[in-house]
Amino acid sequence: MRINSLKTLLVASTAFAALSAPAVYAQSDTAAQTPASAMDNYTPVTEDMLVDPPAQDWLMFRGAYNNQGYSKLDLINKDNVGKLQLAWAWPMAEAGIQETAPLVHDGIMFLQTNNNIVEALDAKTGDLIWQYRHVLPEIPASWSYQANQARRQKASIALYDDKVILTTVDAKIVVLNAKDGKVAWEKQVLDYNVGYSYTVGPLVADGKIISAISGCSIAGTAGGCYIMAHDINTGDELWRFNTIDDPDNPKQQESWGDVPPENRWGGTPWTTGSYDPETKTTYWGVGMPGPYAELIRGSGDGSVLYTNSTVALDTETGKLKWYYQHLPRDNWDLDSPFERILVDQEVDGETHKMLVTVAGKNGIAFALDRDTGEYLWSLETVYQNVVTSIDDDGTVNINEDLVSQAVGEEFLICASVSGGKLWQAGAYSPLTNAYFVPLTEACNTVAPTQTEFTAGNAVGSVKFGPRVLPEGQTNAGLVEAIDVNPEQGESKWEYRSRPTPTSSVLATAGGLVFGGDAARDVKAWDQETGDVLWTQRLNAPIGGYPMTYEIDGEQYLVIPTGYSNSASSIASAFPEIPLPTGSGNSIFVFKLPKSDS
Amino acid sequence: MVRLLAAATFLIGTTAAFAQTSGIPPEDFSNTRRLAGDAINVCFDITSLGRPFDEAVAKAIGDALFLKVNVIEGFGGFPLNGDGFMDELSLAMNNTCDMFMGVSVSANTPFSEAFSITRPYATIPFVLSVSDPDWQKLSDIPKDKRLGTAMASMGEMNYITWAQQQPKADRWVRLPYADYDKMATRVLDGTIAGMILWQPALARLKAERTDAEALRVIANDPLPEAYVRVGALVSSRNSFLRSQVDQAIDALVADGTIDGLLEQFGYEGHAGE
Repeated sequence: MRINSLKTLLVASTAFAALSAPAVYAQSDTAAQTPASAMDNYTPVTEDMLVDPPAQDWLMFRGAYNNQGYSKLDLINKDNVGKLQLAWAWPMAEAGIQETAPLVHDGIMFLQTNNNIVEALDAKTGDLIWQYRHVLPEIPASWSYQANQARRQKASIALYDDKVILTTVDAKIVVLNAKDGKVAWEKQVLDYNVGYSYTVGPLVADGKIISAISGCSIAGTAGGCYIMAHDINTGDELWRFNTIDDPDNPKQQESWGDVPPENRWGGTPWTTGSYDPETKTTYWGVGMPGPYAELIRGSGDGSVLYTNSTVALDTETGKLKWYYQHLPRDNWDLDSPFERILVDQEVDGETHKMLVTVAGKNGIAFALDRDTGEYLWSLETVYQNVVTSIDDDGTVNINEDLVSQAVGEEFLICASVSGGKLWQAGAYSPLTNAYFVPLTEACNTVAPTQTEFTAGNAVGSVKFGPRVLPEGQTNAGLVEAIDVNPEQGESKWEYRSRPTPTSSVLATAGGLVFGGDAARDVKAWDQETGDVLWTQRLNAPIGGYPMTYEIDGEQYLVIPTGYSNSASSIASAFPEIPLPTGSGNSIFVFKLPKSDS
Repeated sequence: MVRLLAAATFLIGTTAAFAQTSGIPPEDFSNTRRLAGDAINVCFDITSLGRPFDEAVAKAIGDALFLKVNVIEGFGGFPLNGDGFMDELSLAMNNTCDMFMGVSVSANTPFSEAFSITRPYATIPFVLSVSDPDWQKLSDIPKDKRLGTAMASMGEMNYITWAQQQPKADRWVRLPYADYDKMATRVLDGTIAGMILWQPALARLKAERTDAEALRVIANDPLPEAYVRVGALVSSRNSFLRSQVDQAIDALVADGTIDGLLEQFGYEGHAGE
């Protein structure tokens, strides 16, 4: 409920509405004057830039349309990474779960934090230029879920032209002027009163704002979970694709058995998608079905499409080009919405266009032909027991022994409801043709059950036990480097550790992979060998999406830190490592000493 | 302080992480002690089907204990999977609520160190409701018809458990509904033959919809009876209050106050366990 939080939000909303956003705090008066000049050189982000981002910028969620999380910068490299020094640091505007994905263009950093707060900072000095606080509507007392989500607002914002585009917990698209943080326009996309809420950021592609809604497991959102496109200038809706009800595909309807659309839930695409501008195709991962257990949802042994699938959509029409289901018949909340990475490799004169992903919580890596959806290969990473085999044609076979046949029948499921893999994105390096993935070894018990938290209310149909290590495993953490080619994926190296990785990872042309863990250590690994070349302990678990940029010939490395549920939910696996009791949500920005740049 | 941190750590460590993993930053748990005086903060799920009844019971408990009841609305709108529920409940019970009314008291009731559970103050059944006048009990409904059940409810669990023990040909196809209003519409338009729902939901339907007059309750046979024991949560910060509330519930059950309230709100069932 967080009644105090709601009150705070309301008070804050009222106060800032009166001041008219953006707000500049008393403490930042000086900062607000000095670095505003940094904006003088700010140029519009063009479509060409989005297609081929300048190396010195970080223009979108994972740096480029391909979601690779790779930077072409190499000033920081294997030879000098050990000399990194702190350039500046900045605290987040509010407590919350640290899942931020900062962006940089023309020396300006745009930082979204919890509760839809966006700050513009001088990326060289760390000085605040403006802050935008989203003014929420008066919050209905039945709005607890959105309050919960606001504390955990994840992922990205987007840049286009002279605008900053964000999606909000009250299901709006908000477009800000990049120069001053003032609202240019906003659009109420779906009705938050029935439960819709944005938890991931938009993708700007093909002149459209492409976004995906969450809250699709709330009673009022039955039958509709959407990937949508809106006009970049007007906000008019151009198309929407429903991930759990596709009237154009009889197979999709049959896969839900007797269950009609109005009794279906889930299918949330809760990681920002990727985009291939050549074919005008956007690729999104879709989450689990609701209710979790087929015993409750009534779908029998149906595969419940398009849950736990990759969907490839035509950006001009929103029509489905193809889909591939990574986990049919999910009974355990093993979502498969995570980053879809686009990889081009030339082998013997032939260009192979692949989509590579560790799609779901069970940690299995997949490669698909991204033009056809054809299955190429898969590779297990962490221990999992829900998929028994994958046929040559890509059909995924589940372990039917783990499907509960009675209410209360409990099984130990690996990987756990929090992964395996979670929102923390992996990165692909074209330098080494390797995909680096942060993972956790974990299991938990799962049983369909009635819980009915408040009497007669439809909330709660699966009971999960605490996350524990798989038998015989003593290390929760795994960073897996996967050697990627069109024929197969092979383990290149593994880095195992007691604490779990808690951040996404960043790969760079300097031959490095950056990421961090619950023990507050940010690390740089050698892409080739997995050797740790640099470690720095910070104030809190490493979080969010590390990124890098360049200004005036110097490369900067941004490391978010802060509260991490990924750390606390498996802290019992590494009791010797205390977690901080404060969130400490911050970003730390490193660079080399001048002489080494 | 140590107790609070321990509680917070426990909660964070054991809260189930659902589809979109969440959690609570520790500083969101307040470490202040409420100076309540002669009043208690009583919280309600605004979406609860028994919300007016629960408030009447809370006021009766307050009267019995000579305490003023501060009604605090909140809570609700959670996903079917409960994503975020325990986070918000734990925060509320730590920071705001002395008592939280209308909780289903069963073996599966979620718990945390932020609160404890009282005795049930009422036991209220699930019912089978149909509109076809020819049917007097569940077994009168042809097997090729469909049934609706209130999602994740005791009544649904009761049906699934029974159905799993029958040959497929002897079961009805069951569809889960999270919205009892929509489920009633589907009974009335013939999409489903009947619905198993909590009786207060049917009472509310009949009070709010004229077309609900056509809905009537028939016997569950061959299903066993299903019911919810309704109780409250009391903040762990006040163990004295917990024992006082339990004593008050016992007294209100014994003197007929709860039975009177059940009748007043048109609820079936009985006071206490």
